[in-house]
Amino acid sequence: MGLSQSSSMLFGGKTSAFRDGNVKSILQRVFFSTCAFVALAAVAFIGIDALPGDGCTALLGRFGTDEQVSECRTENELDQPLINRLGSWANDLVHGDLGYSIKRDQSVDEIILPRIRNTLFLGLVAAVIAFPSAVVIGLLVGRFPKSRVGRIINAGSVIMMTLPEFVTATILWLVFAIWIPIFPGVTVVSSDASLAELLPNVWMPALTLAAVVFAHSMRTTRAGVSVVQMMPFIESARLRGTNERVILFRHILPAALPPVVNAIAVDLAWLFTGTFVTEAVFNYRGLGRLAIDAISDRDTSLILPIVLFSLAMYLTMSLVADIVVKILDPRLRVERR
Amino acid sequence: MKFFTKDRTPRGKILAYCVLVLHGAIALFVPILHLTPTDEQDATTMLQGISVDHWLGTDGLGRDVFSRVLHGGRPSLVIALVATAIAAMIGVLLGSFAALAGGWIDEALSRLIDFLLAVPTLILLLLIASFFGQDPVILSLTLGLMYAPPIARVSRASTQILLARDFVRVARLQGGNGLTILVSEILPNIWQVVFNEIAMQFTWIILAFSSLSFLGLGVTPPTPEWGLMIAEARSYMTINPVSVIAPICMLASLVLAVQALVDHE
Repeated sequence: MGLSQSSSMLFGGKTSAFRDGNVKSILQRVFFSTCAFVALAAVAFIGIDALPGDGCTALLGRFGTDEQVSECRTENELDQPLINRLGSWANDLVHGDLGYSIKRDQSVDEIILPRIRNTLFLGLVAAVIAFPSAVVIGLLVGRFPKSRVGRIINAGSVIMMTLPEFVTATILWLVFAIWIPIFPGVTVVSSDASLAELLPNVWMPALTLAAVVFAHSMRTTRAGVSVVQMMPFIESARLRGTNERVILFRHILPAALPPVVNAIAVDLAWLFTGTFVTEAVFNYRGLGRLAIDAISDRDTSLILPIVLFSLAMYLTMSLVADIVVKILDPRLRVERR
Repeated sequence: MKFFTKDRTPRGKILAYCVLVLHGAIALFVPILHLTPTDEQDATTMLQGISVDHWLGTDGLGRDVFSRVLHGGRPSLVIALVATAIAAMIGVLLGSFAALAGGWIDEALSRLIDFLLAVPTLILLLLIASFFGQDPVILSLTLGLMYAPPIARVSRASTQILLARDFVRVARLQGGNGLTILVSEILPNIWQVVFNEIAMQFTWIILAFSSLSFLGLGVTPPTPEWGLMIAEARSYMTINPVSVIAPICMLASLVLAVQALVDHE
């Protein structure tokens, strides 16, 4: 804080949140994230290449003869040295070509794009269910930690956070698909069905995911609130006779928000990268389900783009979180005045 | 956050300790109880409810659910304990070494930790389990490596706080080497915080491993394991709900007991 303050004074103290120090550090973060992505992508390519088996063995299975396999490799240029393949793969990737699945005889983007859409849809529904309520309830529980309801919610959130998804999913399934059948238990629509067709199938997986991320962001909000409300500026606001509701939403919430933004970003990255277990339980055709299928058929041409997608998502989300926190930080806004 | 520990009742903690001891005792002593063998199939008694012969009924292959549930924690506990030990060793050494060394070494190691945190855990686990077989040694090594970064981060942060304290500065000025300072000055003081994080990671490791089993890539089928049992029992859950509820209760009580003892703040 002290550093950015002095630099803003030196450079004439601009009035936006994007002052020199901020822009520089954001650019640094973007640069670092890009480097990390490139390095991790190369590591992923080499690592997946080192696994026994490739597209041809996946296609021909264990009964393919050696000649068939080597013929298929020549045909698909899989017999080139690693460095050449890495080069041509990176070149294709830069030009927007994700590759081709020999096993599924389809281009990768054709397979993967509807799955990404489905996963994003599921993640969005879960996020809409979880985050707004988590922040509000976290605020209230943090404000009244000794209340009976607060304690129950606290304990409940530990349970929600700790139970593995497949347990939450199984319990929800038992209750809402079998005992009180209001949701379909298994997704039967195809992966490129319209969102309206998908909607009835999205509720149960979304609720499962919402339980996990609700608990996480609620607890982060609560922890932030309980620290902030001990601070002198809250005391002074109260002594000035400010309305309790104004204190809660105008004073405590903004100050407690930065870690919550971070938690939400991490959760969103998790939601959007395909939540394997939940999608597997409900047979929901998203990215996670595809990853499990691809891994069990050893279709490496699909595994790699999925890994890259989740890396990119994770890095982007933490980057966005950092930028949003910089903009939201109430201390910056106080300085501006 | 001292004031937070106050509103958690000590009774809850005592209960959590009891549950943990019970889990440990079951895992250790279940072989000498001579229960029905976990792989004994009986086509005449499939999917039975609770009875005197089968206290929790039988599963789809006529196997005794009670015996399988009691045996079901052993694979996850062994793998999770080994993996946690590996993660703790790597994490604590890496983290406190980074903080002690400082300078570019610290910067480089911190970036490495950030890197490792970005690795999608479950994809990597699935890949390793699928391509290298469901070998417990490989799985616990992988889990240990993947869950080391958060421990490293906590160790680094808490070591860094200590570095400014007089007793550490004195030890350094006296010319003690890094390892001695680490063992005699740093570790005793960061242990409490770090152990808390280790316990937290222990539950995540158990959950990751049972999720892997649930997806069919953790243990190989006849082995009783809670995640796998839940996956298997789901298909006949309507007929014998106990066979799915029992492993859920065991898994949930274990992880919740550890979580109840961990300080979350």
